[in-house]
Amino acid sequence: MENYAISTQGLTKRFKKLTAVDGVDIRVKKGEIFGLVGPDGAGKTTTIQMLCGIMTPSAGSANVAGVDIIKAPDALGGRIGYMSEGFSLYGSLSIGENIDFFSDLYQVGKAERLERKEKLLKFSRLTKFVNRYAERLSGGMKKKLALSCTLMYSPEILFMDEPTTGVDPVSRREFWNIIHDFISEGVTVFVCTPYMDEAERCDRVALMYQGHILKCDTPQHLKSSLNNNLLAVRTNALRQTVEIFRQNSNYGQVEIFGEELHLTVENAAKEKKQVLSFLQTKGIQVYDIREIIPSLEDIFVTSINEESKDSDGLNNQRKEIGTYNYTLSINDTNTNSVEVKDLSKRFGDFIAVNNVSFKVRKGEIFGFLGPNGSGKSTTIKMLCGLHKPTSGNAYVTGYNIADRAREVKSRIGYMSQKFSLYNDLTAEENIDFYAGIYGLTGAVLKERKSWVLEMAGLTGQGNVITSDLSGGWKQRLALGCSILHQPEILFLDEPTSGVDPIARRQFWDLIYQLSDQGVTVFVTTHYMDEAEHCHRIAIIYYGNMIALGSPAQLKSEHFAGDISEVGTAQFSMEDLFISLIEAEDLKESRSYL
Amino acid sequence: MKRILAMLRKEAIEISRDPYSLGIALILPLIILMLFGYALNFDLKSVQIAVWDMDNSAESREYVSSFVTSGYFTVIAEVDSYQEIYSLMDRDKADTALVIPPDFSTNLVKGLPVGVQTIVDGSFPPTAKVAINYTKAINEMFSAKRINHILNLRGMPELKEAVTAELQVWANPSLESKNFIVPGLFGVILMAFPPLLSVLAVVKEKERGSIQQVMVSPIKPYEFILGKLLPYSVIAFVEVLLILVVGILWFHIPVKGSITLFLGLSVIYVLCTVGIGLLASTVTNSQVVAMLLALVITVMPSMLFSGFVYPIFNMPQLFQYYTYLFPARFYIAISRGILLQGNGIEYLWPDILWLVSYTAAVIILAAVRFKKKVA
Repeated sequence: MENYAISTQGLTKRFKKLTAVDGVDIRVKKGEIFGLVGPDGAGKTTTIQMLCGIMTPSAGSANVAGVDIIKAPDALGGRIGYMSEGFSLYGSLSIGENIDFFSDLYQVGKAERLERKEKLLKFSRLTKFVNRYAERLSGGMKKKLALSCTLMYSPEILFMDEPTTGVDPVSRREFWNIIHDFISEGVTVFVCTPYMDEAERCDRVALMYQGHILKCDTPQHLKSSLNNNLLAVRTNALRQTVEIFRQNSNYGQVEIFGEELHLTVENAAKEKKQVLSFLQTKGIQVYDIREIIPSLEDIFVTSINEESKDSDGLNNQRKEIGTYNYTLSINDTNTNSVEVKDLSKRFGDFIAVNNVSFKVRKGEIFGFLGPNGSGKSTTIKMLCGLHKPTSGNAYVTGYNIADRAREVKSRIGYMSQKFSLYNDLTAEENIDFYAGIYGLTGAVLKERKSWVLEMAGLTGQGNVITSDLSGGWKQRLALGCSILHQPEILFLDEPTSGVDPIARRQFWDLIYQLSDQGVTVFVTTHYMDEAEHCHRIAIIYYGNMIALGSPAQLKSEHFAGDISEVGTAQFSMEDLFISLIEAEDLKESRSYL
Repeated sequence: MKRILAMLRKEAIEISRDPYSLGIALILPLIILMLFGYALNFDLKSVQIAVWDMDNSAESREYVSSFVTSGYFTVIAEVDSYQEIYSLMDRDKADTALVIPPDFSTNLVKGLPVGVQTIVDGSFPPTAKVAINYTKAINEMFSAKRINHILNLRGMPELKEAVTAELQVWANPSLESKNFIVPGLFGVILMAFPPLLSVLAVVKEKERGSIQQVMVSPIKPYEFILGKLLPYSVIAFVEVLLILVVGILWFHIPVKGSITLFLGLSVIYVLCTVGIGLLASTVTNSQVVAMLLALVITVMPSMLFSGFVYPIFNMPQLFQYYTYLFPARFYIAISRGILLQGNGIEYLWPDILWLVSYTAAVIILAAVRFKKKVA
């Protein structure tokens, strides 16, 4: 027992209808960085709140830092640090005041306080903003501040619930650097995250799904435990290739990632040639085929599939989801649906967007990346006709946004990361509401409604209250609501945050279907695995566009000299992103905050 | 102790950076004081009468004019049918109607008793009662005058009243209802706003999630509750001072007793009302529910069951016990007792005792109920 910072036996939490955490046994060694990974609703937050002593378990027991959390939860006070989900500091207090408040609560001594505060502010590069109100900080800065408040005292265990959700890769890397540099030897870190790339930073990872721990091991062991290998394939007709694989029962899971597809095989080395010849017999031209290292997400999806083989639910999910065919045909996929030329936007002296130019083909999935406050949303808002450009031109579906905003608005759809659904309405009532906004009535409404329900996999379940739907259903319903009027361009703002990997893959399937029909899809995101799904991406930084091209193209251009097949695959989009931004900073001799 | 100070400092900064809420907390009570101070007025200034004079003689006109000269009645119409009377009453134009019979003057001269039909609109009983009393008094005066007139004609001495009531009204000699309403209003206003502020101050932290950070810290529940109780009680006390000053300078309410005693007991009352808000915050996690809850458990009962308008001694016995659930009852009694009657502790001690015990119970219960748990 003494060697474990955290150990639980059969830890369970039941709410009225639902068992959020179901018999969880975890052992976390002292000094370990332990990741609890799983989609929204898996039970991560409930687990962490029980371990922090602020939620009473329904059954089971847990020992945290030598304290029995059921018998003596108050004894935990001061020995653990907890960073809850979202922004949980005081917005109207400045950075310094927030730090002081928590130091007072934990009664940190004066001398120690001054020293730690200075050091933490320096580390998190917040020193110059010490008097700024917390609510006026960027997402990354807020998280760094929350971490600093927790590190003002020396907790034995640091609990963090989704610490870098909504934070760009540069800030995320900084955040983890603070943790690595600042925590003293022997401090245990327990982190919950829906993001697999964050899990890669942990010593050990537990995969949590529907209240259960599916697997728990080091990331390396987990990856090597996968019996299957992955092949990345690029062909001349990607969607057709996917269909061919899916119809042939000899092949396992197949998913599209931007310009390539990932195929699960038993032995990559053996099957590579066989796949190649199989595709050739089907008349597909293969540009590239190579083995890739599976990601934690692949492990996760496989584990979930294994877990639910007996229960019929998840494996059948894919079949339940219908296709989404526009009745409106978008012809001429060779023309551009968005043309932006020298577009600029100034707010007073501040240049939010600086001379940006790009073109987006019809049917293209175009990713828009950049750190918080880089000008992404300003650009999107201009394209949606919500902001007037200061200079330059932009044509959306052929209309100039400066004077034809009305026409533009009726041809675009928008889905926000919050999904913009009314949680207390039923699925069908949500559809009715959005249909009402777009003026759909009668037969058209009826037809489109059944269309959306089918697409979301909700046929026959239209009267389910939205709040009872899981993340994946909600996400597809939100997508359906945003394309009820069959827009030619669809804007997606961090569309898959917090959704489980299987639902995420289904979602991207739908997006690819739309794209095949000529719908242009704009995606803004902080998450690089989402960026991998795009045909082309643009990276915006300080209002300037610093990169434009397909993910593979950008990687091979940027990491020149490392153009061997496996070489580029080793670099993630995140590496690319950070490296591009660092290069830009070097050029401009400034540093990102 | 240091942690309470940390809470106090944090709350003070937060409050000072939210001038909008602070403004509402201090200005809205004044607006309510103004509105209620003027609107809740039971003084009957003028009764509107309709007159159907079938006699139309010098005597009948003299009778009607005795109503007008009394200053309490205004003739708004001369009519000649019941239809007109009813229609005027239905439209709320007339409160009372006089129907003077055709033989009014003949009988009067003969010294025979005369009945004048007096119709009173009873839809609002308090006004109707006052109108009836005024009418009776004027009739008595008119009768005495007639009798003395007849005695005069016969060369006999005038009749004197055997007994006269020498009226002396205590506490509120001018019998103005504002003197009664405004000190009672203090109790209602202080029950309305401070609990709302304090319940939101906690529930806001729950919704925002910042409370979770505080929960995992070594802070004790009572330290947290005191950290919220004290700053909001200070705001509430500033509210007390504001409404008291406006009450004295604007409404000219009398201050007969000790202002120090009044302020001291007001401190206890605001601790109580802020404490009620904190107690309510242990029940709910949503700001909307918190606001509704505050409204239902504070404002409404303190208007209805505190003796603010409806006297408690008039209520059925069961409801009289029920009023003890609402501390506004004790404070309103104290407020009127000190300001209007000039009473001191020697008379007010039962109410003071109730108020103090109630306050202590609320605060202790809030601290006990506040759990460092999200579920």
